[in-house]
Amino acid sequence: MFTEFIKLALQSMVTSKLRTLLSLLGIVIGVASVITIVNLGESASKSIQADIAAAGVETISVSPRTRDREVRRTFDLEMADRIRSEIPGVYRIIPTHQFNTTVRFQNRTYDGTVMGVSDEYAETMDYQAAEGAFFSDMDNEEFRQVAVLGSLAAEDLFPDGGGVGEYIRIMRGGTARTFRVAGIMEEKSSSFNIQFNQNVYIPYNTYANRVTSIDFVRSYLIRTEEGADVLAVADEIDEFLERVVGSGHYYIFTPSTIADMASSITNTLSMVLASIAAISLLVGGIGIMNIMLVSVAERTTEIGIRKAIGASPRRILTQFLIEAVTLTLVGGILGIAAGIGLSSAAVRFFDWSFYPMVNIYFLAAGFSMAVGGFFGLYPAVKAAKLDPIEALNYE
Amino acid sequence: MEPAVIALESIRKYYYMGDFVIKAVDDVTMRIARGEYTAVMGPSGSGKSTVMHLIGCLDSPSEGTIYIEGEDTSELDEEDLAYLRNAKIGFVFQQFNLLMKLNALDNVMTPLMYAGYPLRERRALAEHTLELVGLRDRMKHRPNELSGGQKQRIAIARALVNDPSIILADEPTGALDTVTGEQIMDLFEDINSRGKTVIMVTHDPEVSSRCRRTIHLRDGKIVEDS
Ligand SMILES: Nc1ncnc2c1ncn2[C@@H]1O[C@H](COP(=O)(O)OP(=O)(O)OP(=O)(O)O)[C@@H](O)[C@H]1O
Ligand SMILES: [Mg+2]
Repeated sequence: MFTEFIKLALQSMVTSKLRTLLSLLGIVIGVASVITIVNLGESASKSIQADIAAAGVETISVSPRTRDREVRRTFDLEMADRIRSEIPGVYRIIPTHQFNTTVRFQNRTYDGTVMGVSDEYAETMDYQAAEGAFFSDMDNEEFRQVAVLGSLAAEDLFPDGGGVGEYIRIMRGGTARTFRVAGIMEEKSSSFNIQFNQNVYIPYNTYANRVTSIDFVRSYLIRTEEGADVLAVADEIDEFLERVVGSGHYYIFTPSTIADMASSITNTLSMVLASIAAISLLVGGIGIMNIMLVSVAERTTEIGIRKAIGASPRRILTQFLIEAVTLTLVGGILGIAAGIGLSSAAVRFFDWSFYPMVNIYFLAAGFSMAVGGFFGLYPAVKAAKLDPIEALNYE
Repeated sequence: MEPAVIALESIRKYYYMGDFVIKAVDDVTMRIARGEYTAVMGPSGSGKSTVMHLIGCLDSPSEGTIYIEGEDTSELDEEDLAYLRNAKIGFVFQQFNLLMKLNALDNVMTPLMYAGYPLRERRALAEHTLELVGLRDRMKHRPNELSGGQKQRIAIARALVNDPSIILADEPTGALDTVTGEQIMDLFEDINSRGKTVIMVTHDPEVSSRCRRTIHLRDGKIVEDS
């Protein structure tokens, strides 16, 4: 009996495609939103976890958060030494600062970021040289004008390979300074806010004294000792900075806080989509109720005939419920397809990897059917209660 | 005496239209024995269709009791009445009342679906019954692809397929031409000769003369029963 009724339902859907489609719109949008929420949330958290794993190390970064020059000046190299010596668990601390500029080699140019870092940077970040070597502590101590290129910078300036030993010019405030290329780094996938490949690295001291005249460190990159609890160390640094510079004057980032931020963004997005989903499913349910009431009215004679040849109220109820459920299931399937499309597009937009949650597809299909059953109940009861003779005489 | 297959005891059916009371059926008592072939005649509006609907359990009386095979139908609920309509009674309408979206075979199979037969048996029984009414070669056609006489044959097959003991027909030839009507009448006689109790509404004296018993109605009352 079920198969007959499913066949009938699909038949009447095909004969009035547009009406069916319009009445299903709410369900489609609702289900698409749910699928998008879940796939997006899953992709976000999995991608961020993958990022943390790819970074290989848990890095803490500390930056000043103030326009007060006096306070800002306390973020200096001496502060780096104090953090390293006073806080247990800190293995390395790298001062960094950066600006965006143009770098030239002969008639080639590269628009990118020049980053001043100490010589421990490469080792600390697990970042290998492909050619030559990262600059040394001597280069840093003696303010030497040497540079190391990220892979993207090297590609642009030396498309035919080579480059180590050549002299490039870094522009800053209208003057060009000449730097010897000491090394070219291997490609390294970005982790969090560090885009390794697009940087040109120069010694921090050269950066702070020869190229610029900054009097504070933009950000310290801190790596903890093997086996140390990164979050505990971050807490200690927090306490230390609160004592030394006062609360509110600095940021501390750990991969976990960045992950938290990302998940709070996706949470907001989820809330918005969840409310769209709830409203659409309600509207969709009412749409289903409406089309089913129309269908019952249009088919009053059919119901009368069926009753006259022995359909019990329960059979009529079943027929119309099956029809409503079939209808919403089709809507659910369309919604799932739309949701997959939408979420994979959004994931591409956020530059994450796509981790679809296939279980939710079945859940969504089941839920659409439940919506059909719930909102189809009233029209089906109405059909079941029709008086046979009145139904047969209905015009 | 064998108990009546159908018994109506002081049946009234009233319709209330504002201050008006329409007495569509007014104190009708009748007994129909098993295997009888009865015609119901009377002028338009005399209550023929209403009586048929009451016997067919499609409608319930305002007063009185109807017994089908000895069972008091006033004590049955909707589910039981549906069973009765499905298993014991076959109804044939003047306007055929076929399901337009289904082909002939599916139309004839529908009562069997409600009776709970498995698909294979439904098919076999429906094909057999279509053969009986001479429409086996048209079973894949939808009602709108068939003539009036063919539609009525399908409707008759649908009424017969579940092997009910009672066949009710409300002006079954009313929408057909004379020749086709006679073929349909032959079919009913054949059905009656197979032991089914047949009650048929007709305006045609020719038709009623072929029945063994004729009940005349006027203003909802029986005026002649012979
Ligand atoms: N639903 C209804 N509401 C009000 N009056 C009705 C209703 N159904 C039937 N009637 C009335 O009851 C009376 C009997 O109607 P019925 O249909 O039984 O007549 P009939 O003998 O079958 O007539 P015909 O030969 O024209 O088919 C008529 O006066 C009719 O108007
Ligand atoms: Mg009539």
